[in-house]
Amino acid sequence: MDDTNVYIPKLAKIINIKEEVGGARPIKTFRTQFLTETKFAHDCGQCAMLSVFGKGECMISISSSPLVQDYLQFSILKTGRVTTALHDTQEGDIIGIRGPYGNGFPVDAWKGKNLIFIGGGIGLAPIWSVLQTALGRKKDYGNLMLIYGARTSKDIVFKEELEELRKEMTVHLSVDVEEEGWKEFVGFVPQNVTDKKPSQKNAIAITCGPPIMIKFVIQALGDLGFKDEQIYTTVENKMKCGIGICGRCNIGMHYVCKDGPVYSWAELKELPQEY
Amino acid sequence: MEKILTKKSFPEWAEKLKAYKIYAPILDDGTWSYEVINKAGDIDLDFPNTVQAPKKIINPQREVFLEFGRSDEDTPEIKEVLPEEKPVVIFGVRPCDAKALTLTDMVFDGDSKDVYYLKRRNQTVIIGLSCNTPPSPNCFCTSVDGSPHSEEGFDILLTDLGDRYFVRSLTKKGDTLIDLGKALFTAPKANDKKELTKIHTDAEKKLKREIKDVAKIPPKLKEMFESPLWDDESMSCLRCGICTYLCPTCHCFDISDEVTSVSPFKGYRIRTWDNCQFPDFTMHSSGHNPRPDKASRLRQRIMHKYQYFVERYDHYQCTGCGRCVSKCPVGIDIIEVLNKVRDYG
Repeated sequence: MDDTNVYIPKLAKIINIKEEVGGARPIKTFRTQFLTETKFAHDCGQCAMLSVFGKGECMISISSSPLVQDYLQFSILKTGRVTTALHDTQEGDIIGIRGPYGNGFPVDAWKGKNLIFIGGGIGLAPIWSVLQTALGRKKDYGNLMLIYGARTSKDIVFKEELEELRKEMTVHLSVDVEEEGWKEFVGFVPQNVTDKKPSQKNAIAITCGPPIMIKFVIQALGDLGFKDEQIYTTVENKMKCGIGICGRCNIGMHYVCKDGPVYSWAELKELPQEY
Repeated sequence: MEKILTKKSFPEWAEKLKAYKIYAPILDDGTWSYEVINKAGDIDLDFPNTVQAPKKIINPQREVFLEFGRSDEDTPEIKEVLPEEKPVVIFGVRPCDAKALTLTDMVFDGDSKDVYYLKRRNQTVIIGLSCNTPPSPNCFCTSVDGSPHSEEGFDILLTDLGDRYFVRSLTKKGDTLIDLGKALFTAPKANDKKELTKIHTDAEKKLKREIKDVAKIPPKLKEMFESPLWDDESMSCLRCGICTYLCPTCHCFDISDEVTSVSPFKGYRIRTWDNCQFPDFTMHSSGHNPRPDKASRLRQRIMHKYQYFVERYDHYQCTGCGRCVSKCPVGIDIIEVLNKVRDYG
């Protein structure tokens, strides 16, 4: 097979499936291993095009850290044709993977900084790789903080990992509406950001979630004195090729699959607001 | 290389190109289109322009990327499917459509290489025909750095001098084709060249449509993202997508899987043309759509061609063929829209 053909996926085995969230909007986390030795060195925040043969392809953020060599991890909300097919797979099933795609977070440039991770719903997945990388290289960074929320406590992903995470860093969770037994913040993620008042001093804020959440998180951070250059987000758009030619994921002249998905707010606000 | 070929000798030359798969314009049921020619005598270069651009030969509307299947229970097998290896000649390509190929080259032959496109492109020889009169009342090639006799993208350019063609070979691929019929070609005389120049100059004057001061448009568009103009101009759009399907520079595509057999499981992964005028082109599976209405989709089509592509590649992604204007069922006219953009506010 021609290695230069960018459209040919490599086969990979699903070695582990974990149910994160059940109900009408289920989320599962998949770990995969390539069947043959494959050059696939990703950066934090990059994506991969996953194939279920017969159903098609979809672009998914890689949620495992590049520090992890044994597997690639993807946390996937069941929502369309391919993600539904992925949810129907069993451990041991074979899928296709091509990539990695996109630019990734500038984690090396952030050395010495305090990092504040702000996620909503499945939006924790794209920032999980950078969060895990920061944890793995803890002495390279200052204070780490996570502010994360979901619709209900049942919609929270990485539940066990989040409990473990509390031993390593500050974790603030929230749910959108009041529920019995919930002891942490009630309200939307941007409100929790305002409530917890993370300091902008020597800090970088990394946020991902639904577009509306990102918009208000950026506003809340701005109110707390964060400069546009201190705020990073990842943009999601419908993608097909992953290499900036199929023409649909563009924001202005930028192709999110190639020039993104990671942008500082300083960069993103200069683009047409169409995402 | 410059030569003269009489129209009488033309079929004889085409006959000598047997090693190539030959496409030429064919009139079928009132519609001109590029089709495979089996008899050299069938080539008729007395045509306006084809309804579909010759991009369909290099970048077909549907093509197979790979075959997948499963013979045992677990492991799927995938097999890359590359285009047929056969040299191709396309006769009678108009300058706007050849220039369009040079634009799609920038996209498919950029940082990432699209092997399917490049294989077809590299094995194809493009023989053009300059326009002595504009093939369409909506031609505006001269507004977008083109001309009725532009040589961009051609291996050979023919100009009709009545009973003979003025033949200009522009590449090695072109020279090879002329060498195959060497004895049929003669050297041009002074009056042939004089006639050529006159035909070319006259042709430019015959164009009826124009975008004035086109260079003002890309920076102007940059200020007009939020303009109400897009609502007004897209009001009548039917979302049929004909503007982009017929556009020689539009290249956006979809990738999807077709299952041809359930047991044993097998099928194809295919590429098909897609269309920015369709709502689901950008719709997320969540239902969120960054371009939710006709206005944002018309804006995307115009801005891609006259701002984003200019920013990325320093060329307009439009060659002035006029197809989108002539074929739009509700009369959305890119020339008028761009003239309004330039004068807006």
